[in-house]
Amino acid sequence: MSTQVHANLTEEQVREISGDLDEPDWLLETRLEALAALEDLEMPDVIRTPGRDWTNLHELDFESLVDPLNAAEDKDQVGPEEAEVLSWADAVQEHEDLLQDHFGSIVDPQENYLTALSTALFSTGTVIYVPEGVDAEDVTVRTEQNSRSLFNYTLVVTEESSSVTILERQSTGEEAEEQYYSGIVEVAAGENSYVQYGSLQNLSEEAYNFTLKRGVADTYATIDWIEGNLGTQLTKTEVSTELRGDSSETQIVGAFYGHNDQHFDLDAKVWHRAEHTTADLVTRGVTDDVARSVYEGVQDVGSDAWDTSSYQRENTLMLSDESEADASPKLIINNHDTEASHSATVGQIDQEDLFYMTSRGVDPRAARNMLVEGFFVPVLAEIDVDELREDLENLIGTRLRERE
Amino acid sequence: MSSDQDHLKETDTEARFEFKKEENSAVRSGKGLTEEVIRMISEDKDEPDWMLERRLRALEQYHNMPMPSDWPGMPDLSELDVEEIIPYIRPDVDKREGVDDWTELPDEIQDTFDKLGIPEAEKNALSGVGAQYESEVVYQNMQEQWEEKGVIFCNMDEAVREHPELVKEHFMTTCVPPSDNKFAALHGAVWSGGSFVYVPEDVTVEMPVQAYFRMNSEGMGQFEHTLIIAEEGSEVHYIEGCSAPKYGTHNLHSGGVEVFVGEDAHVQYSTVQNWSKNTFNLNTKRAICEENGTMEWVSGSMGSKVTMLYPCTILKGRGSTDTHITIALAGEGQDIDTGAKVYHNAPETSSTIESKSISKDGGRTNYRGLVHIADGAENASTAVECDALMFDNESTSDTMPYMEIEESKVDVAHEATVGKIGDEDIFYLQSRGLDDDDAKKMIVAGFIEPITEELPIEYAVELNRLIELEMEGSLG
Repeated sequence: MSTQVHANLTEEQVREISGDLDEPDWLLETRLEALAALEDLEMPDVIRTPGRDWTNLHELDFESLVDPLNAAEDKDQVGPEEAEVLSWADAVQEHEDLLQDHFGSIVDPQENYLTALSTALFSTGTVIYVPEGVDAEDVTVRTEQNSRSLFNYTLVVTEESSSVTILERQSTGEEAEEQYYSGIVEVAAGENSYVQYGSLQNLSEEAYNFTLKRGVADTYATIDWIEGNLGTQLTKTEVSTELRGDSSETQIVGAFYGHNDQHFDLDAKVWHRAEHTTADLVTRGVTDDVARSVYEGVQDVGSDAWDTSSYQRENTLMLSDESEADASPKLIINNHDTEASHSATVGQIDQEDLFYMTSRGVDPRAARNMLVEGFFVPVLAEIDVDELREDLENLIGTRLRERE
Repeated sequence: MSSDQDHLKETDTEARFEFKKEENSAVRSGKGLTEEVIRMISEDKDEPDWMLERRLRALEQYHNMPMPSDWPGMPDLSELDVEEIIPYIRPDVDKREGVDDWTELPDEIQDTFDKLGIPEAEKNALSGVGAQYESEVVYQNMQEQWEEKGVIFCNMDEAVREHPELVKEHFMTTCVPPSDNKFAALHGAVWSGGSFVYVPEDVTVEMPVQAYFRMNSEGMGQFEHTLIIAEEGSEVHYIEGCSAPKYGTHNLHSGGVEVFVGEDAHVQYSTVQNWSKNTFNLNTKRAICEENGTMEWVSGSMGSKVTMLYPCTILKGRGSTDTHITIALAGEGQDIDTGAKVYHNAPETSSTIESKSISKDGGRTNYRGLVHIADGAENASTAVECDALMFDNESTSDTMPYMEIEESKVDVAHEATVGKIGDEDIFYLQSRGLDDDDAKKMIVAGFIEPITEELPIEYAVELNRLIELEMEGSLG
């Protein structure tokens, strides 16, 4: 075990967090087990090639980052009446059965060191419950972090033939020198239900971020993820779907823009575990200055996943000489009745395109910005929520215009 | 399966590859890896001290290195017990450097290579031939015209004695040092046999030179070392073939290949690997390319129980080029984990990787590849294409590419597809009067055609036939 266990993390703290939320004993137990497991757990997997670790999580000084009892945030949790959008504390009171069924069933609290840390210490969260047949639009969750560390948990449960569109945003209010945001999202999509989960991470560039979002799709269910990453100095994320029911589908759409010394380690994964399932993974990103992006995509087709369709594309545009873009799109195929493909490209702005535009009188800077904005279009076009698409466009545009 | 195909199978696989000969060795080392074994090998070869020292240093590195274990999805090496492998068997032949007349060989060895078709190929299509039996090269010959131009093609043991300066400088120093990986260290300790090829400036060796490696004895390891030095403006095509009969215990093949591609030089390295299915095939192959040099790897992996092989090219000089063409076929009980590694360390370098894999009857293929573009390698370009074909649901086909891009002025593209043999394709061919087997064979032949067309015709035919034979075991 190479990760240190914090001398300043105690059972008492965990009991205090759980007690303040008035949690039942089984939840406290789960938290305490996660705390006890820290000692033996490893950091999340990162890609290693000869002589290189693509992301080094061991250098992080969690000791000084984690401050479990002083979490502070500003949060909005809004949704339409037909669906229930509850804070964690309310959900504990009103929906204990639901939590008992789903909490920790999709993301194992002890999957790795950071999930266990998050499970032991989370003090805030959102539970979204969509009853059978209900179409819930515009659920928005906004989190503004105002403390050194913040541990957040989200659970989405959709019953049969329901649908929900969720937009989640994370930003930083009071900035500190170094901050740590940790989030776990579990989505249980019932039969024939539809979940679109959009997320826009725009934390301070001093922050560290670990998020794991994972969904399980039942028969005929669809889970679509949209993942925008702009903030933090170091982000490690996984967005993943297990296609457990026949004819279930998923789409994972990602956009990122790293500049300065930002480091994004982004994983997109899908497990095909039933028949007639479809997955489409599309990620586009830009690296600038000395930023570095690391992308791992996994399409895993199990031996029972007959008639699978699985596609993956990743494109990175490098705006500066000193930035770095690493990518590893993986295929693991155990059923031959599969149509799968993946592709990845890395390149810079096409000089001919640039020349064409400048020859038409567009100044080089504006031409470049237009081309970068155009590069994101195929990803932005996949986003159904106007608000999320516009926010993302604006943030990208602003960042581009700040540039020389 | 029709009866004429049975006949084909009988004569080809059994007679051509599977036959066994009585072991008739002059010297045979003990099992395992001890300093004593290493000293014995070196002494038996009457090697200079510097080579013995290199061997002992490599042995120490071998013992200090852990077995690779943390690779995602790596093949199972737990059945491989290096301590049980016999690293050195010198066949009982009169002349140590290898004869240049097949008839001078002991009958059983001559018969072996006759069956493999090597003397026949030599007459028709090759500039030179080396043939290794167990741990030593037993036959070595090259046409006189190339000797006159200063081309050297000899066995590696002889090169250590005859060309010590070249060997000292290039042998497991900058290209594949023993510290590279555990099996390179093992190789450095016990290597024996292999080829040394030296092509002087501006010489083009028009017909390929070939080396054939045959393991005959049970439980042995073959560790041949191939060193190719192509000077400025020269050109050479080297072909290696390998096979062994199948035994109940495991054999180990851990070869080392080092290629130095000079300025404007062009080297093609082709391999048709058909080790028996009890062989662990763990090789390290690497080329270093100077300015405007071209390296081409063509690899067909049909045999072995486990193969872990990632031929590597370091594009060191501006404008150098690499091409990888690999084809892997994994049947029952086989795990073929192969791919390519390319380091773009200079501007204007380009690489193309084309991989085709076929898995059937529970076999597993994996493309594992790394493309690294270093900071400053402006205008580097790379294109990677992997296609996989699966026959049945017991088989596995994985693709694990890694791309590390530190330079922005680049053009990087990776693509992969996986598909099954289409029922529609088969139906179409059947409606044209082909039976199911032939239809599948034809589809496979079409699938790998982009690769076979890169090979000299004799080898393309050989590869196609090998694949047909492999296919027959499973179909019908």
